Amino acid sequence: MSGKKWTAAFFITAAVFALLIVSFNVLVDPFGVFGDPVFHWDSYSETQNPRIGKTAYLDREHGKYDSYIIGCSSTSSYPVGLLNEYYGASFYNLIMYGADMQDVRDMVFYMADNYEVKNLVVNVYIDNGLKIGQGEDSLSSRLPAKISGRSKLSYYSDYVFLNPNYAVQKIKDRADDGLLSKPFDVFDVETGAYDKRARDAEPIGSLADYLDAYPVFADYPVSTPAMEATDKTMECLAAVRDLCMERGISFAVVSAPVYWDYFNDFSKAEVEHFYRSLAEVADFWDFTMSSVSFEPRYFYDATHFRNDVGRMALMRMFGDESAYIPEDFGRLVTKDNAAEAVEAMYSAYGEPEANSARVPILTYHHITDEPQSGTEITPEGFRAQIKALSDGGYTPLFFSDLEDYVVKGYPLPEKPVVITFDDGYMSNYEKAFPILKEFDMKATVFVIGVSVGSTERYKDTEYPITPHFGWGEAREMVASGLVEIGSHADDMHQWAPYETGEARENILRLPGESEADYVAAVIADFEKSAADIERETGERPAMLSFPSGKYDVLSQWALSEAGVRMTVGVEEGIAEIVRGLPQSLYAMKRLNMTDEISPEELIALLEK
Amino acid sequence: MSLLSPLFPALVLVSVTVYYLVPKRSRWTVLLAASWLFYLWGGLASAAYILITTVSTYVCGLILGRIREKNDAARVKKLRRPVVFLCCLINFGMLFAVKYWDLAAEMTGLSLPRLGLLAPLGLSFFIFQSTGYVADVARGKIAPERNIAKYSLFVSFFPQITEGPIGRYGALAPQLYGGSDLNFDNIRSGIQLSMWGLIKKLIIAERAGVIVNSVYSNASAYDGSVIAFAVLMYCIQLYCDFSGGIDIARGAAKCFGIDMAENFRRPLYAKSLAEYWRRWHISLGSWLRDYVFYPLTFTKLFNRIGKFTRKHIGGALGRIIPTSLATFIIYFLVGIWHGANYTYIAFGLYNGVVITSGLLLAPFFEKVKARLKIDAKSKWFSAFSMLRTMLIVFAGRYITRAPYLKMSLVMLKRTVFNFHPSALFSGVIADLGMTAADLIIVAAGVVLVNAVELTEERGTDVRLALSKKSGFVQWLCLALPLAAIVAAALFGGDYTASSFIYAQF
Repeated sequence: MSGKKWTAAFFITAAVFALLIVSFNVLVDPFGVFGDPVFHWDSYSETQNPRIGKTAYLDREHGKYDSYIIGCSSTSSYPVGLLNEYYGASFYNLIMYGADMQDVRDMVFYMADNYEVKNLVVNVYIDNGLKIGQGEDSLSSRLPAKISGRSKLSYYSDYVFLNPNYAVQKIKDRADDGLLSKPFDVFDVETGAYDKRARDAEPIGSLADYLDAYPVFADYPVSTPAMEATDKTMECLAAVRDLCMERGISFAVVSAPVYWDYFNDFSKAEVEHFYRSLAEVADFWDFTMSSVSFEPRYFYDATHFRNDVGRMALMRMFGDESAYIPEDFGRLVTKDNAAEAVEAMYSAYGEPEANSARVPILTYHHITDEPQSGTEITPEGFRAQIKALSDGGYTPLFFSDLEDYVVKGYPLPEKPVVITFDDGYMSNYEKAFPILKEFDMKATVFVIGVSVGSTERYKDTEYPITPHFGWGEAREMVASGLVEIGSHADDMHQWAPYETGEARENILRLPGESEADYVAAVIADFEKSAADIERETGERPAMLSFPSGKYDVLSQWALSEAGVRMTVGVEEGIAEIVRGLPQSLYAMKRLNMTDEISPEELIALLEK
Repeated sequence: MSLLSPLFPALVLVSVTVYYLVPKRSRWTVLLAASWLFYLWGGLASAAYILITTVSTYVCGLILGRIREKNDAARVKKLRRPVVFLCCLINFGMLFAVKYWDLAAEMTGLSLPRLGLLAPLGLSFFIFQSTGYVADVARGKIAPERNIAKYSLFVSFFPQITEGPIGRYGALAPQLYGGSDLNFDNIRSGIQLSMWGLIKKLIIAERAGVIVNSVYSNASAYDGSVIAFAVLMYCIQLYCDFSGGIDIARGAAKCFGIDMAENFRRPLYAKSLAEYWRRWHISLGSWLRDYVFYPLTFTKLFNRIGKFTRKHIGGALGRIIPTSLATFIIYFLVGIWHGANYTYIAFGLYNGVVITSGLLLAPFFEKVKARLKIDAKSKWFSAFSMLRTMLIVFAGRYITRAPYLKMSLVMLKRTVFNFHPSALFSGVIADLGMTAADLIIVAAGVVLVNAVELTEERGTDVRLALSKKSGFVQWLCLALPLAAIVAAALFGGDYTASSFIYAQF
């Protein structure tokens, strides 16, 4: 080969390689820069780079929305549904992780020119004072070139000649995708918010349990944040405000809650400058520091609070008093009261214990003279325990009382207790009910739908069964006002040896079952169980006891979709519920009662 | 700009195209423009240093030229001295301030202010290159360059400025200014050389280097065998990275028809440490030889030392001591050139001690060889010498990369006393980020590099031999490396390209 031929061969080969790479990156398009021609996977692109992914989505779908809430990742926790209700609009949650106010300004200017925008809510977070204008360096936090004004050549060449690992990973992730969000697709496409279905379904429990699950709060890392970007941040926000005024867009600013231990890392002078400058730009609803900031269970980490906290913030802003909101949570800050507002941040105080309650929930099953297992108890033992509770001044509660405490903030009695029975045995009616009446104590019975009224046989088999009470007994007990009926699933607590097919012994997904089929099955099962209970007793249950105590995040989420607002498991312990966090009513712990526990021991156990 | 930046091939492509399009006598201006674009890409801040060097050496060159024109030899000798001294003071003073001041302040324990200056790209390379030019003018070997723009090209020629080789004006300037004719054989050679460099750098060095950092910084956590493995990987990384960078640079220059000095001549085949240093970073060694070693041995002081040793010690030893002393100083300088750090000073001393003692003990070794009837020219003895040299170099590499001197001693100690070969197979290599695939690629790469070098050591020009193969084979030898480089560049590392190790020197 001559040098000339060789050189030509080299460049042709190089061009072919380049073409292959470009085609691969453009077709798979992990960042959604080229319209994601093959996968059409908005949530993935948005996760890779929310600025690019969401712009691509909105360019197509902006007709569905007329209002936006925008800001860094804490913005996600303000529920779009509630905003729609309050504003009578259709909001999109334009959260962009790591967004600074320059991102916000640039996005708003772009939207105002290209979409219909009636209302704009800007979420300002204390971190916005730390940095501004640094996102362009990173593939995952730069704006689309048409918004940032970056040269198209540099912008597209970065994504055209992207490390193919991104595209390879996207192909792998596609195969691994599931119903709930995975780390590679964290956005709910329709609302724009983080898909928190899984996190909103996880049990909360006691502070100690929470610190185990979220150890970051146990010893919060110290940092030395420097608020060097306050002035630029406010300039950008002022530009947004002016634009809104010019275009007749309603404009509101909300300042997000911060975890106290992180807030304390900031210098007071800088904090004061930040919030007073903010008040100069616009009046704003301030949630930065309050008793909420002192309750770790309201937070995922210092800078991300739970959706329920966002809900409470919006309720406070719009004067909605239909549910509990901590009294000191949120205030409207103007130029005139900004100085006081900053002082108030520093005098905020909270005690996690004050907003949470320990509620012992006792578990009984079958009552018999000859207990065979650790879940059965003699009538005498049961009576002694109930008497001890009554004598000890314990007030029995229904599950709705717990919900009232959590959701509405109603007080609980000094010594609350919840008595529960699983399965719905005839002995509950024959042996326990008279004792409950004797002491005027309330209880909740979780019935297995298919077993109600089965006195001799397991379902339609020939196998014998411990007798279960029927609807007549149920109605009688409910009518007494002392008993409520909850669900123990309709037919998801099967006894494997008696089943012909694959048994569903608990509410977990069966091996090989698709997530969609599973969720449909759970919802249908509970729907059947709840409809039967409502038809027969007049009360639709919102509580379920997990068969065998087994559950996972997917099952808890599926149940909440079906309308279950309270669940109990079999994990031993005293339940702890938190005001403002309905999620704390999930997978509550219980205490299993047997004859082994003497009345004195029971009281000691409850007072521990 | 880094040689690994994707913009570098783009810059070469564009400037080569323009180079051959403009008239021959203006071609050097294309090189100049490309060089300044390359150098200033990273920011204007570093321009001050290269400007000071360019202007000071240019002016000194002119003055020295003038002195030579107007005076006789004796007077030239007298007059040139202050000019050369001033030139060295400015440039080496700058080098010292940037690279060594803080270390010196620390070592002397004086409460001197720390400068904390960041070394600009290629500082020591362009200072060595341009002060070499001044020395050559002073010696009358070359005439000074009168056109400052042309001279500036000599100082800043972009392929070589990041990591050398350190060029000589006499060899480089005619090629830079002359403007070569378009020759596709040059383009082919240039691309091949660059690809070879990229393979060494991107595919071998990057992978070999993965575990180096962790092991060197925390040696006491690892067994001796793991440490030795890491040192071996460091040797591979260092050679492939540095020689790869040089090949990329030489390849780029070759596309303009410019032959740059060789900087490596298969150092693995060196039979002694001294020979190793004649094969490793050749341009630095020869620069030190020509501009430090020879002048040093001709100073009055060395003359006196020589007289003294001949008189009082006598014999071979008496004759050899002054040379050994100069040698020692050179290797000490080599050490500190590589880094302003105790470890590099120790490295310099190590090399100085080994080579000097080799010189001093040479008569003794001769006797031993004669006594044992060893034929120094036999294959076996050559192999033994090569192996011995490798071991000495290997041991030296314990010193340079360690974060501080004591750590290298810890590493040596653990290698000798806690070798535990089984530790190597306990999965620690994978834990440190080097997968089995990485190991295989590094091993295959080392075999490939050695196969090529052995062929060249035996006198065969590999590229010439390749050009005689069939078209398909030639195409394969183009497409496969290209595919490997593209894949390595795109998939490589943590999705970001790392900068050359040598650019920090």
